This record gives sequence, C-alpha cells and structure tokens, in this order.
Amino acid sequence: MSETLLFLIPLLPLCCAVINMLFGMRLPRLFAEIMAVTGVAGAFLLTLLFWGYAEGEGTRAILFTWLNSGTVDVSFALNFDRLAAPMTLMVTGVASLIHLYAVGYMHEEDDYARFFGLLNLFVFAMLAIILADNLLVLFLGWEGVGLCSYGLIGFWYRKLENAKAGTKAFLVTRVGDVFLGIALLWLFAVTGTLSISEINAQATSISPGVVIALSLLLLLGACGKSAQLPLMTWLADAMAGPTPVSALIHAATMVTAGVYLLCRFFPLVSLSAVGMTAITAIGALTALYAATCAMAQREIKRVLAYSTMSQVGYMFMAVGAGTVTGAMFHLLTHAFFKAVLFMAAGCVIHLAGNENDIYKMGGMARRGPVELFWVFLAGAVCLAGLPLTGGFFSKDGILLALFTHPDPAYRVFWLIGVLTALLTAFYTFRLVYLVFAGEWRGTGHPHAIPLQMRWPLWPLALLGLVGGMLNLPAFVGGDEMLHHWYGDLAGRTVTASHSVEWLLIGLAVAIAALGWFAAHWRYRNYRPAVENRVSLFLLNGWQADALVDRLFVRPFTAMARFCSSGCDRSLFDGTIEGLAKMASRYSAMLVQLATGRATTYLSAFAWGFLVLLGWFLLKLVNGGGH
Amino acid sequence: MIPLGHALSFAAALFVLGLTCVLLRRQVIMILIGVEIMLNAAALVFVAASAYWQQVDGQVFVILLMAITAAEVAVALAMVVYLWRRKRSLVADEFNGMSG
Repeated sequence: MSETLLFLIPLLPLCCAVINMLFGMRLPRLFAEIMAVTGVAGAFLLTLLFWGYAEGEGTRAILFTWLNSGTVDVSFALNFDRLAAPMTLMVTGVASLIHLYAVGYMHEEDDYARFFGLLNLFVFAMLAIILADNLLVLFLGWEGVGLCSYGLIGFWYRKLENAKAGTKAFLVTRVGDVFLGIALLWLFAVTGTLSISEINAQATSISPGVVIALSLLLLLGACGKSAQLPLMTWLADAMAGPTPVSALIHAATMVTAGVYLLCRFFPLVSLSAVGMTAITAIGALTALYAATCAMAQREIKRVLAYSTMSQVGYMFMAVGAGTVTGAMFHLLTHAFFKAVLFMAAGCVIHLAGNENDIYKMGGMARRGPVELFWVFLAGAVCLAGLPLTGGFFSKDGILLALFTHPDPAYRVFWLIGVLTALLTAFYTFRLVYLVFAGEWRGTGHPHAIPLQMRWPLWPLALLGLVGGMLNLPAFVGGDEMLHHWYGDLAGRTVTASHSVEWLLIGLAVAIAALGWFAAHWRYRNYRPAVENRVSLFLLNGWQADALVDRLFVRPFTAMARFCSSGCDRSLFDGTIEGLAKMASRYSAMLVQLATGRATTYLSAFAWGFLVLLGWFLLKLVNGGGH
Repeated sequence: MIPLGHALSFAAALFVLGLTCVLLRRQVIMILIGVEIMLNAAALVFVAASAYWQQVDGQVFVILLMAITAAEVAVALAMVVYLWRRKRSLVADEFNGMSG
C-alpha cells in the first residue's frame, strides 16, 4: 500500500461534491444523499485504515508538483502525522453523522444537490487544512472553508437576512485571512520554503522579532476563522444557516481550524512569549465575553453559538499556556458535545414548529421523544463541565495548565477561565430549564422528526460523555493517552502536585454545581425575561455590531461618499462638464456669425479684401517700393 | 489719348459702385449685376494698361473675360431660376440654409 493513497481521504469528499454539484439534480434523490454520506464516511474508514501511517514521525505524501518556478517549488503534499490523524478522524467521523442527520433535516428541501455538494466540499476543504504539508495547500483549504461557509450560511438566500449573514461571515473571516496570507508570505520570505514541517524545523533560526510578528499574524488569522475577539461578530449571525451547517461549522470544522493552525505552527509560535501571552489573552477575553453574551440570548442556536465562541476561547488559552494536548483534547470533546447540542437543538426547533425563541418553548421533555431530552442533557452537562464528563476533564486540563504556568500573569487568565466556567454552567442549565422544564408556552405545531435525525445523536452524546477517557489525567488513574500519543508535539507537560490538582478539581466541581444551582433557582419555574439595559447590552453581544458599524462601516461609507460625490462627481465631473459648457457657450456666440446668408459672407469677403489691401499698401509705403 | 490715371480712376469708381451694389442690394439679380459691373471695371483696367504699354495682351485678356462673364451669367441666371422655384422669392437673405 503506497502512502500516495492517503490522498483518497480528502479526494473522496471532493469527488462526491463535484458529482453532486454537476449531476445531483439529475440523479435520484436517494442516490445523491447516499453519495454525500458515503463520501465522508468513506474518508472516515480510510483514516482508520491508514492510522498506522501517522505513528512515529508521520507520513508525508506528494501527489504532484503544483508550481515550479525558480526557487519556488510547491508540491501538493500531505502530512499525515500524530497531530493530523486524531483531528482527521474526528472531523470525518462527526461530519459523517452530521451528513446523516442532514439527510433527515433537509428531506423537504428541493435544492438538495447544492446543499450536499457544498457540505462535502466543506469537509474536503477542512481536510485540506488538516492534512496540508504545504502552506499553499493549507491556504487553499482555508479559503475553501470560507467559501463553503458563505454558501451554506446563506443557503436559504431568498431571505435577505440569511444572505447578509453569509456575506458577513465571508467578509469578517476574510479580514483574518489577509493576516494569514501576510504571515504565509513572510514565512516563505524568511525560510525560503512553503513546507510546514520544514518551516517548523527551521523555527529556531528565525530572529525573535520576526517570530513575534509572525505569531501575532497567525493569531489574527486564527481569530478570523475561530470567531475570537475582535473578529467574532460573524458567528452568532451564522445561525441563519440550516442546523446541520451550524453543527458542522461550530462543532467539527471551521471554528476549530484556527486552533488547529496554532497547534500546527506551535514549534514556531511557542518561541515567542509575547505571542503566547497574546493568544491566551485573546482566548480568555473571548471566553468571558461570549459567556456573558450567551447568558442573555433568546434564540436557542445563538446561545450555542456564543458557547462555541467561549469554548474555542478555552482552546486558545490552552495553546497560549503551552499545552497542545489540552487544546486538542478540548477540541475533540467539544466537537462531540457541541455537535450533539446543535443537532438536538435542530430537533427541538422542529418540535416547536420552527420556533427559535427559548422563552416560547418549555415542556419539551414531555412533548417530544424522550431520548431527545437525554441526549441534549448529555451535551449540556459536558458543556457545563459537570464531573466525569468529557468536557469536565478537558476544561480542567486547560485550567490546570493556566494555573501552573510559570508566568504569574497567567493566574489572571486562570481566574477568567474559572469565572467563565461558572457562567457556562449557568447559561447551559438556563437553556436546559427554559427549553425542557415547565409547561409548553409556544404556539407552533410540531413537525415529525425523521429517524435519520434521531439516531446520529446517540453515538455523539456517548462520545461526549466518555470523551474524558481520551486523556484521563494520571492522578485519577488515567493513562493520559492523548498526551502520550502526541509525544514531542504535545507542548509543555503540565506538572503539578496532587494536592493542587485535587484542589482545582474540587473547585471545578463546586463551580459547575454553583452554576447549576443558580440556574435552577432562577429558571426552574418559568418567569418571563426581564428586559433591562444590561440584558439588552448582552443580548446584542456587547453592541459589537454597532461598534464595528461605527468604527469601520460608517467611516468607510463616508469615505466612499466623499470619493463619489465629493471627488468624482463634483471635482472631476464638475471640471470637465464646466469646460464642456464653456466651450458650448462660446461656440454658440461664434455660431451667430455663420448666418447662412450670402450677403453676410459677401460683406465679410469685402472687409477682408479691404484689410488685405490696406496691409499691402502699408507694406508698399514702408518698404519704399522694394 | 486718355491718360492712364483717368482711366484707372474711372475703373476704380466703377469697381466701388459695383461693390456697393453687391453689398447693399438684397435682390439676387441686383447682386449679380453688381458683380458684372465689378468685372467690367477690371476689364477696363486691362484695356487701359494695354493702350498705355502698347501691348495687345490686355485686350486679348478682355476678350477672354467677356467669354467667362457670359458663361458665368448663364450659370447664375439658371441658379436664379432654381432659387425662384424653391422659395418664390429672390431675396438673398432668405436663403440661409447654411447657417450654423
């Protein structure tokens, strides 16, 4: 078996995407759906099959030379190593289940070929990011993910706000992409190669100042895709897309691409203390910001969107604290429980008759199939970090890494992390109580939930609950499997005395319990929402959109207006049109001379003759006869 | 023998009269008559000069001029007929089709 066969992993979804896009509407619907699912599921099976290639130093495979010009030699290369393999497995696995769910969710949609084509293309682009050994291949995937998210968020483009949400996601992530593009070009200029593994090998020879700049640029690029401050405004609006898209974007792909990018370049990024602190600070601020926003949201999917932002903030903190294991661990568990939360939310919205507002739900536990409540609860306890769930262990690992970081400044970030954990537990159970407890407050009629929407929830819920087994800490009897798997890629090994570890665990349990009790006390029995200035401020995401509008959009509009009406229309058009008007006015005066009457011309002729005659006479007089 | 100066003065007066007629008259026919007078003034100068220098060239030229004038009058009168047909008027100012 040749290592070139590794290319089958991304190519399979790509082929299915192309076939679906070109011929999907002419194929039987069932065939298109089966092809979309098997494309991704096949990639999942292939990843399992090729797992052995990832061990040790991993396997690099070159399919062909993409560009070759002078010193630039870009080959279409994949790097299937210990970092990429678990991520590939997670993305293809979760995406397969989401595809299955999507078959049920979209069964009334007429435009299924476009949907499944884009969905498969999205998976291909994500796999290109994960497996790329070449900056250009990575960038191809990076842009591909942005393009597909634009197409999928604005999938129901006939409603203007959906189309606008897609455009917003596209534009805001593009801001980050610009920085990433600069970073990639700079890396090429410094190292003379586009291969990621070679760049990482040369990282220590780059001068420290350049490393700082590069890590900050990479961070900004990651912020765009991962919806971190200050490029986070697109994520909440991205909920305009169909629910499977939300699950795919927020669980398995896209938002985790930024975290993965930082982990990929960890050997480079970790060289700069400034960069690492910046990453942690961005992560901490975003985690806190998004958690506060999530507390006041009214739409079920927006709560989950903000919670994603917040959890990705934790992953950034983990990278900043130097533990790649912690970031990837949380990334994996988060992918499981967030996917299940989104898909269950889709079921809930179906049951509520397309009602999004959690204040108009309630009583869902009795209204729908009973297992829906249990899988949602499984996802929720993972998100809230209740003990022994996957989310509990991964979050605790990050907090431990922050707490034990040698730099005392990280204690502040740790404190923010703990506070965020409290808020997370609170808003998660607020969501659970408002949706599932009490009496039905809505008016909509429930839609039936097809079978394909129900059973993909189970494996994900289970994985979320037992996800802690991936990297169970040693002091509770675990073997830290993930950490050993990553080996020298894992970053800093977090060491702490057992008492500190138990103390932190106890604190985490207490905090999760506190959040739960607070939510229980406030939301167990439904009381209408209180609208005050604070809740409105949080509901609108700290007025971030208004701020962006005031800082960028309006000055830009004003500048455009100045250029259009100030410069172009008045200055340039004015000058040219003024000249034209002047010429036409004077020509009108000249036109009056041309009366068209022969007599006028004759007299002009006579006068001209006279002048000539006079002139010759003058010459005669002056010249003295010569 | 009439002195050259007298002949030239008379020719000049005749020319100015013809020019005045061309410039001041509005009827096409009167303008044409003015042109004829100016042409005859020029012919007179030729004849006077021919007599003064005792050379026959000037008189030959006058014969040529008469022939040309006859042709010119034929064409011009044909045009006058056409103009009359178009507007039933021979006032020169009414034919302003070339105005800008």
